[in-house]
Amino acid sequence: MQPRSLSTRLLVSVSILLILFFGVTILALDFVFQDLSRRAIQDRLEVQVVALLSASEEDSSGGLRADQLAEPRFDNPGSGLYGEILRSDGRPSWRSKSLAGTGLEFPHVQVGERRFGELQRADGTSVLSLSMGIEWQFRNRVTRSFVYSVAESLDPYYAQLSRLRGRLFGWFGALMVMLLGALAVLLRRLLSPLRRVEREIEAIEAGDLTELGGGYPRELLGITTNLNALLRSERERLARYRNTLGNLAHSFKTPLAVMRNLLSTQGAREITVLRQLDEQVGRMDDIVKYQLRRAAAAGGTGLGSAPVDVREALEGLRGALLKVYADRGITCELTVSEGASFTGDREDLTEIAGNLLDNAFKWTRTTVRITADRVVSPAARRDGLRLVIEDDGPGIPLDSRARVLERGARLDERVAGQGIGLSVVRELVHLNGGIIDIDESALGGARIEVKIAPV
Amino acid sequence: MRVLIVEDEQTLRESIVEQLQQHGFTVDAAADGEEGLYCGREYALDLAVVDLGLPKLPGLELIKTLRAEGKSFPILILTARDRWQDKVEGLQAGADDYVAKPFHFEELLARVQALLRRSGGWAQPVLRCGPVSLDPRTQEVTVNGRKVDLTSFEYRILDHLIHRAGEVISKSELTERLYAQDFDRDSNTIEVFIGRLRRKLDPDETIKPIETLRGRGYRFALQRDTAAA
Repeated sequence: MQPRSLSTRLLVSVSILLILFFGVTILALDFVFQDLSRRAIQDRLEVQVVALLSASEEDSSGGLRADQLAEPRFDNPGSGLYGEILRSDGRPSWRSKSLAGTGLEFPHVQVGERRFGELQRADGTSVLSLSMGIEWQFRNRVTRSFVYSVAESLDPYYAQLSRLRGRLFGWFGALMVMLLGALAVLLRRLLSPLRRVEREIEAIEAGDLTELGGGYPRELLGITTNLNALLRSERERLARYRNTLGNLAHSFKTPLAVMRNLLSTQGAREITVLRQLDEQVGRMDDIVKYQLRRAAAAGGTGLGSAPVDVREALEGLRGALLKVYADRGITCELTVSEGASFTGDREDLTEIAGNLLDNAFKWTRTTVRITADRVVSPAARRDGLRLVIEDDGPGIPLDSRARVLERGARLDERVAGQGIGLSVVRELVHLNGGIIDIDESALGGARIEVKIAPV
Repeated sequence: MRVLIVEDEQTLRESIVEQLQQHGFTVDAAADGEEGLYCGREYALDLAVVDLGLPKLPGLELIKTLRAEGKSFPILILTARDRWQDKVEGLQAGADDYVAKPFHFEELLARVQALLRRSGGWAQPVLRCGPVSLDPRTQEVTVNGRKVDLTSFEYRILDHLIHRAGEVISKSELTERLYAQDFDRDSNTIEVFIGRLRRKLDPDETIKPIETLRGRGYRFALQRDTAAA
C-alpha cells in the first residue's frame, strides 16, 4: 500500500482530535444544560407545592382541597402541570383538573420526606414530579398527614434539549469544517516548499534544470543544499572521470602510435618478430579502447540527465560518416519519429549509434538506413527508444550473431571483421537497460536493432 | 604535394614526416596548435594532418580558425580519445576524415592520398589522363602502359599537376608546394624539371601533356579519364 501523504495524515489526525474534542465538549454542555434545566424545573415544582399548600382549604370530610389556585394550568387538561393531595391512606383528597386522563400516579412518601421523580404518563411521555409528606393541623386540633404532589411535563424540556443539541452539533460541525479548511490552507502553504522540491526534481529529471533553486525555508535548506551538492559532485565526478580516461587514452595511445609507426617503417614489417610486436600493439590498443569505452559509459538514467535529442545526435553522426565515406557514394536514409529521445547520457547514445553506423558504412554497398522510434508505455515516465540500423552489405552470418552478442565474450574471441565496435555497443546497451538484436535486413545486409525500454 | 603535420609527440611527428617524405610529399611540421595555425596561414598547403590533443591551441580550434579564414585544403584528424562525439565535432568543425591512434602508417598514407584525390576531384585511386596514369599508392607513372622512371622531384611535380589536371598552376605556387619552408628556392629549377618531365613522358612530342601558359603558369592538358578503373 502506498504510504499516505503528509497532508492526508495530518488532516486525518486533526479530524479525529477535533471530533474527540467537540464530542467531549458537546457531552459536557449537554450534561450542564440538563442539570440546570432539571434544577430549574425542580425549583418551579417547589414553588408550586408551596402555592398548593397556601391555597389548601379544609373540607368537610377531613381532607384538604386546593380549588382557589392562582395558576390556571392546574385546571387546564393537557397543560402539563399537575397537582394532587393524597390522604395518608392513599385516597386522593384533591386532584387538579389537568390530571384527567394522564394516568399519573404519584408515589406515597413519609411525612417530612421530599422526593423528586420521573413518572410516565399514559401516552408514554415523562413528567418530573415532586412529592412532599406534610402534617396538617386542622382547626379542630386534629392532625393528619397528607402527601402533596406536583408534576410538570418534560416535553418542553426535551424539546429544548434537542434544539440545543441540534444547535451544538450545527455550530461545532461548522466550526470543524472551518478549522479543517483553515488547516488545509495552512498545510498547502507549509508544504509548498516541499512541492517545489518535487517539481524541481522533476525538472531536473527532465533536464530542464541542473540543480534546485534557492529561497527554501531554513528547515529544508539542509536537504536542498545537500542534494545540490550531490548533483554537482555527481556531474563533476563523471566529467572528471571521463577527462581522466581521455587523458589516459591520450597518454597511452600516443606511445602506441609511435611504436606502430616505428614498426611500420619500411622493411621493418618483413621481420617476423617486429610483425608479432605490431600485432601485440594492436591487441593492447583494442583492450585499452574497449575498457576505456566501457568505463566511460554513464549507463542508465542518472538524475539530472536531460533526454537526448536523438534526431540531432543521429544527424551529426550521419553527416560525419557521409563525409568520411564520401568517395563511396553511399546513400544514408534517416527517419526519426517525432519526439524520439534517449533517456540517458548523450555520449552513450553517440557511442552506440556511432559504432553501429560505422560498421554499416564499412560493410554496405550503396544504402544505409537509420530508423529511430519512440517506445511508449503508459506506466513509464520517460519514453524508450528503438534504433534500427540496416545496410545492404553481406550481413552477419547466423552462426556469428549469437557470439557477437554473447555477454562477457572475450575480446580476442570476437567475430573477425567486426572490430570491437559491437562488443562496446552491447555493453553500452546493457548498461542502459536495453537489448540488442541482430537480424537480416530487407535491404539484404545486416539489421541491428537496439531497444531501450521506457522507464 | 605539400602536407602539414601538427602533432605534439616528437617521435611520432618525426616518424610521420620521414615516411611521408619517402612517399614523395613535401612536409611541414608543427609541434603545437599555434605553430600549426601559423603554418596553415602562411604556407600553400595541399593537406593538413592535425592531432586533436594539442598544446597551446586545441586541434578543434585550429581547424575552426583555418576554416573560418577560408582555408579549404583537406584536414585529417588524429585522435587518441576515439570517442564518436570527438569525431563528429572534429568533422563538423571542418575536418574531412579521422584516423584513430595508434595507426599504421599505411592507413594514414591511404587516407591522406584519398583526401588529396577527392580534393582534386578524382574518384578513383589511380589518376588517369588519356595515356598517362599515375598511382599515388605505388608512385608508379605509366604512359600507354609503359612505365616511366621519374626522379623524386619530377614525380612530385607531375603528381601535383595531375591531381589538379585542367587547372592553371602558377610557377610560384608550384614552387611553394614543392619545397618545405627552409628550402632554398629557385624558380628556374621548376622550368628545368618541367622540361625533363616533358621529355620523359612524351619523347616524340605526340601527346603534349604539359602546357605552358606564358606569364601564368602550367596546366596538365590531357583530359581526365573519369571512367571506372
